[in-house]
Amino acid sequence: MTSTAHIITTDSTIAPSATVNTTCCYCGVGCGVSAEVKDNRVVAVKGNQEHPANLGRLCVKGSSLHETQASPDRLLTPMLHGKPADWDAALGFAAEKFQDIIAEHGPDSVAFYLSGQLLTEDYYIANKLMKGFIGTANIDTNSRLCMASAVVAHKRAFGSDAVPGCYEDLEQTDVLILVGSNTAYAHPVVYQRIARAKELRPEMQIVVLDPRRTATCEIADVHLPIKPGSDAFFFNGLLQYLQQHNHVDHAYVAAHCNGFDETLAAASQQVPTPTAAADFCEVNPKDVERVYRLFAEHDKVVTVFSQGVNQSSSGVDKGNALINCHLATGKIGKPGATPFSITGQPNAMGGREVGGLANQLAAHMGYDNPESIERVERFWQAPNMARREGLKAVDMFDAIHDGKIKAVWVMATNPAVTMPDAGKVREALKKCDLVVVSDCIGNTDTAKLADVVLPASTWSEKHGTVTNSERCISLQQGFLQPPGEALHDWQIIARFAATLGFAKHFNYRHPVEIFREHAALSALDNTDSAALRGFNIAALANISEQDYQNLSPIQWPVTADAPKGTKRLFADGQFFTADRRARLVPVTARLPEKAALPNQVIMNTGRIRDQWHTMSRTGTAAKLLGHVDEPYIDVHPDDIARFGLCAGDLAVLKNRGSVYYGRVKPTESQRVGEVFVPMHWNGKYASSSCADALVNPIVDPLCGQPEFKHSPVMIKPFRQAWNGFLICADDISPDCEYWAKITLDDGYKFRVADGKRLPSWRDWAHSQFLAITDWVTVEDSDHQFFRTAGFINGKLAVVFSAATDKKSAPEMRWLEQQLGQTIDAAGRFAILAGIPGAGVEDEGTIVCSCFQVGENTIRKSISNGCGSVEALGEAIKCGTNCGSCIPELKAMLR
Amino acid sequence: MQTGDKPRLVIVGNGMATGRFLDDVHKRAPGQFSITVIGDEPEGSYNRIMLSPVLAGETSASDIIGKPAHWYREQGIEFLGGVRIARIDRQAQCVVTSTGKSYRYDHLVLAVGSRPARIPAKNQDVDNIYAFRTLQDVDRIMASAHSALECDKSADTDALVIGGGLLGLEAAYGLALNGLRVMLLHRSGWLLNRQLDPAAALLLQQVMESKNIHFILSDEVVCFTGTDQVEGAQLKSGKSLSCKLAVIATGITPNVELGLEAGLVGKRGIEVDACMATSDPHISAIGECTEFEGATFGLVEPIWQHCAVLSDRLCFAKTTRFVNSPVPTKLKVSGVQLFSAGDFITTDAHRELLYEDAANGVYRKILLKDNRIVGVVLFGDTRDGPDYFAMLQDQRDVSDIAPFLLMGRAFYAAAPNQPVAA
Repeated sequence: MTSTAHIITTDSTIAPSATVNTTCCYCGVGCGVSAEVKDNRVVAVKGNQEHPANLGRLCVKGSSLHETQASPDRLLTPMLHGKPADWDAALGFAAEKFQDIIAEHGPDSVAFYLSGQLLTEDYYIANKLMKGFIGTANIDTNSRLCMASAVVAHKRAFGSDAVPGCYEDLEQTDVLILVGSNTAYAHPVVYQRIARAKELRPEMQIVVLDPRRTATCEIADVHLPIKPGSDAFFFNGLLQYLQQHNHVDHAYVAAHCNGFDETLAAASQQVPTPTAAADFCEVNPKDVERVYRLFAEHDKVVTVFSQGVNQSSSGVDKGNALINCHLATGKIGKPGATPFSITGQPNAMGGREVGGLANQLAAHMGYDNPESIERVERFWQAPNMARREGLKAVDMFDAIHDGKIKAVWVMATNPAVTMPDAGKVREALKKCDLVVVSDCIGNTDTAKLADVVLPASTWSEKHGTVTNSERCISLQQGFLQPPGEALHDWQIIARFAATLGFAKHFNYRHPVEIFREHAALSALDNTDSAALRGFNIAALANISEQDYQNLSPIQWPVTADAPKGTKRLFADGQFFTADRRARLVPVTARLPEKAALPNQVIMNTGRIRDQWHTMSRTGTAAKLLGHVDEPYIDVHPDDIARFGLCAGDLAVLKNRGSVYYGRVKPTESQRVGEVFVPMHWNGKYASSSCADALVNPIVDPLCGQPEFKHSPVMIKPFRQAWNGFLICADDISPDCEYWAKITLDDGYKFRVADGKRLPSWRDWAHSQFLAITDWVTVEDSDHQFFRTAGFINGKLAVVFSAATDKKSAPEMRWLEQQLGQTIDAAGRFAILAGIPGAGVEDEGTIVCSCFQVGENTIRKSISNGCGSVEALGEAIKCGTNCGSCIPELKAMLR
Repeated sequence: MQTGDKPRLVIVGNGMATGRFLDDVHKRAPGQFSITVIGDEPEGSYNRIMLSPVLAGETSASDIIGKPAHWYREQGIEFLGGVRIARIDRQAQCVVTSTGKSYRYDHLVLAVGSRPARIPAKNQDVDNIYAFRTLQDVDRIMASAHSALECDKSADTDALVIGGGLLGLEAAYGLALNGLRVMLLHRSGWLLNRQLDPAAALLLQQVMESKNIHFILSDEVVCFTGTDQVEGAQLKSGKSLSCKLAVIATGITPNVELGLEAGLVGKRGIEVDACMATSDPHISAIGECTEFEGATFGLVEPIWQHCAVLSDRLCFAKTTRFVNSPVPTKLKVSGVQLFSAGDFITTDAHRELLYEDAANGVYRKILLKDNRIVGVVLFGDTRDGPDYFAMLQDQRDVSDIAPFLLMGRAFYAAAPNQPVAA
């Protein structure tokens, strides 16, 4: 056993009351956060004015960081086969199993599945352990689901996985094209920066390419609702247009690029005119030409791309198709001119930098070069160097399903929910000989399938660096003691490595030691101009512990030449290829592999504004469930009619034997034949609303990223025999076909429904809460409705309302607030009515999560004369904190 | 009718109906008639409904007398108290007292009321067995109760009350409040079986039990024991129990004899039409002595209507028609809230809406037919009774507010028309 076990990362204990600068743990924007700490608790957070990513702003998720701290689901001790165990027993068991399996089946029979939630230091040593010491490259990450396409596109174009620009470019540009990126929801602070820039310079043109009319379109001058997956047709058409109208910068191409002619030939052959592009993309040719002209006629153009491009069977090509246009016009490496891949996770980039993917090695080195393998082997003094690529996420879980991989360790992620064909992933995990999960939450859908669950520290406790979408390395501060026996991920990995006999090489006492090693590796042999690696933080290789603790956000490369970091890459036209020239990549655009059958619709998946990933943290904050509280399906009104659906009713989507239940939301922002569902819900929050389970395991052949944005699925109305809601203090799993859980401030609300009638609602309700004896009930002999409330010591513990038709009791927030209150006999009438009686107004659906301002209040203020977002903010505060709701406020004002 | 003289209106009986009728006539046509009121109780008209609070000591006898003797004088009404009318001479249009004195009428109003119903038990004539009908009954019961309290407690109970209807319960409550141990005996299986369903009745019983009243249900007295004074009762079930006094409150029998012996048409009561006219055009009848379309009356609301109908006719020659609508039942026992109207036993023909709060003893049942309220039983919280009753009478379609109905107006009026889908 090494001595790392009980080291706390922070040397100096935080004073009882202090303000700490750290970063947010959610999306790829990587905002700086000032956390106010009192008595080992975060009591408030605000945006850090000094941090370049957000300059003081925070979105609703970020502003709620302190509210997701005291999760009831927090794991406090290691669990071995469902029982609490000590660390030695849990890790000893895992290590022995790993060793046995490796001994019998070789190192490729084990795997790690990591996460963009890990810090760079965690990521680094997990990668080192697997690739250098266990001896397999079977280490992949949920970043595979997120931006693997962008990684390969970058490498093909620039010779390095490097985002050329920075967030400022998004503000300084004249034409901003957002492709497959609902920035308003997925990267709210970046969206606010863009919106502010647009406000200051209304002439700045904003274009959105997205099959959906998303909230981001609120600030767009042009929205092209393109056919899903047709992005590359659009950019091939653009390249051809640029050539045809003499907008190609031939001098730049001649000086800095290869592959232009072949690329142009491929593009013009496939998409010879803007009209052809419009046909492929199913949009108005005039709009296409307008956007082409904007691109052509402005020097400052930024093309932001995200999951709409990446999560595709041809995501790499799409990325290159758009990068091609920037290279052909030299719109790269200059202020306000760059292609810009925006990542989903806080440290997706850090993972890419350490090589935490199956097809990477470390520090931007790959398996394509034996010298690199040897170099890393030498540097690590690795006894069992993996010499070839490992299995990428989808293949990895297939191999687990096939029994080829017999032990898997999942860190800080929830593949049972997020992988395509997630049902099969669950099966695979069930069959797997050894499943280890390390997570801060002990009951994720994945953790429930694990043999060993290890308690990890989380935001505010863990300490290390993250890299955001603009290559900016920031320190995420650990300033609280992890609760119970939780350890930091790097400590857990180091202890595991020691248990496997590699203590000498994993004897770290502080994350700075790992960071230095990582920085040193990035610098190692990184001067040969023919083999330069983009990621280089040589200047940080000897960073003192003190400087590390006070690390100011800095953009890599950080070298002797650029000790203060690098805002923009490629300004000098020099790339990281052997000849230092960029590559235009010929692309033949392809539509998604599977088209919809006549009885199917295309299911698109994505984020909602206030939730993060599988909700294991954000789902515990009532505030964050106010905006959207139930799985839903966005459907075009024509499809509602075609499939016999009904607005506000439940419908089911089916594919691959999995079912997604969601409430039908009619919206013309969907194209006909396409639906959108949120990706967040899972077994902890709904009976069966896991969107990714319906996603086909079709991947991009170049990068292995699955096609999450395009799944043909069946859609049918859910024929419910009854429906209702259940409000209770305890977290339960209601015994019915459909339920969705909504976290309240002091309890939970469930929407429930079933296709079969219950013999007695009363018996059903009582059977869910056997401890309660004091019930008040309203019963209808016609079985049209039923309501009951249960009390413990006079305090409201349960409310259940059911009905056979659509009408159940109204769901007023007032009712939720009564939970735990002592209710007198007269008050019980109100509880069963679900309304406080005459004279009390209800907020309605919460629009502004920060100030809990509801739709009804906003509409009332509008009708009282508030004519602008500012006026609303003045009057009722909505939209004045995080601003995430401003698109919706604007929509309501129209 | 004598020329130049006012028409002579004679009213026999001086109960609540007469009191109300006099007010109604006075409101419409003061001084239009020469009125004579003849009653066999000595007092002026008093509020019989308040007898149980008097028994309970919650109010005094003088407080419930609405029309003392001087009131009649001031109104120019001739009032004869403690006088019994023996017969009507329809030919001569006069009534004759038990002492042979006769009073001529142009129009006669019979408001002779009812008397306590008898039970078939033997040996009912011993002392300390009382009815609960008049102020005099109350005086006697109270005197008897006080002496019962002074006796030893060897008897099973101090007071045996027979009858689990409104009157019996009120009597039992009054006695219990006087400190007596009370046993209430009821023939039916549940209390107020003419107004409540068994579930509500059980709640009522529990509340009454908490007030030191005990119950024997589904049983009747076969025979009272005791030679001079009542000493106990033998029950049909074979049980027997001892007591110091007994109150029989099993219902009322209309006083029909005076009318029927004069040849008026009637069976259970003196038959009246919707204008309160008997079969003799010079004679009308109101109150508990009447029978209308086969129904007799024991609650105050329809009787108030009798008075209004008759005074409209006599004062204005106006035809207001009496409609016998359902009347809600209330119980005047403090701490007990009870309201019942219309159907109260659920059958297959009903849609039943039920609210149950066992911990607080609140029970509400609304019976619907064709989406309209046909019955209401409320226990424990009766605030919304009048609203339900109004809807019952209006035959309002309540399907749109059915889920909120039981919670009362504050909620069904506030409920959104289209509750959101859940």
